[in-house]
Amino acid sequence: MQTSLPKLPSQIPTSLKHTCEHQADCLKFIQMVLDGAATEKDLDQLQRNLESCQPCIQMYHLEKEVKALLQNRMEKRCCPEQLIESIRTRIATFS
Amino acid sequence: MPETMSDTTPTRGYTDDQKYQIFNKEFMPHIDSMYNFAFRLTMDEDDANDLVQDTYLKAFRFISSFEQGTNAKAWLFRILKNSFINDYRKKSKEPAKVDYQDVETTYNSEDSETEHTVDLRAETVSDLIGDEVATALNSLPVDFRTVIILCDIEGFTYEEMAKILDIPIGTVRSRLHRARNLLKEKLRDYAASMGYNENIDE
Repeated sequence: MQTSLPKLPSQIPTSLKHTCEHQADCLKFIQMVLDGAATEKDLDQLQRNLESCQPCIQMYHLEKEVKALLQNRMEKRCCPEQLIESIRTRIATFS
Repeated sequence: MPETMSDTTPTRGYTDDQKYQIFNKEFMPHIDSMYNFAFRLTMDEDDANDLVQDTYLKAFRFISSFEQGTNAKAWLFRILKNSFINDYRKKSKEPAKVDYQDVETTYNSEDSETEHTVDLRAETVSDLIGDEVATALNSLPVDFRTVIILCDIEGFTYEEMAKILDIPIGTVRSRLHRARNLLKEKLRDYAASMGYNENIDE
């Protein structure tokens, strides 16, 4: 399994591919990498795409942004104390 | 983990003390995640309360089929998901309820393979706030919402999700892929309605 996310090139590459016929497959691939489910070999392949393919770069940024949004900006509630108390009380009289 | 998730796991003879210890040390620490999962599934506070309580009572009742030291969070999420399907889904107050089979069929069609990218910019997404994402997520059919919650919000692996949902890993992947495309469409429509994506060239 992969151990890190790909590094983005520090400079915008000069000769980028602007269209790509494998976009659907690349998107699935990008999602697996961001989910931490790709192999190191897959990761290397994506690394190369991110240095040469405009659609891959855009898809990678979008998928990463959407995932970050879900991870960081969704409201997280705390379980109500009353519910915790109620569960503990019910459990205590179980056996 | 595989063993503990199956219904045929041999029962373990825990003493009462051990049961309470497992319950407090391994189950209770996940209660906030469980509550959030229940709330996002039911979209109703009272239903979320009932669902979490039912799940924890079931977890205690069937504690002998839990193997100590294995993935308690996935085990609990699976019980919650099954309770939701069996007891709550029928009466859920979900707006614009869509039958999952319909959606699965629609997004399995040839079109979904060719129409794979959603015209949405990363910069536009970074302008959205939590409420707007929550609205978009909540508008997805519950099975699609579920995979996004499990993967992106709770950080489960594909393998854990397959166990929680009782579906093959390949189905996890493809459902997740479709769910994300749907979510991006919702976000794009929302951003367009708010004019987020306009005036870029001005």
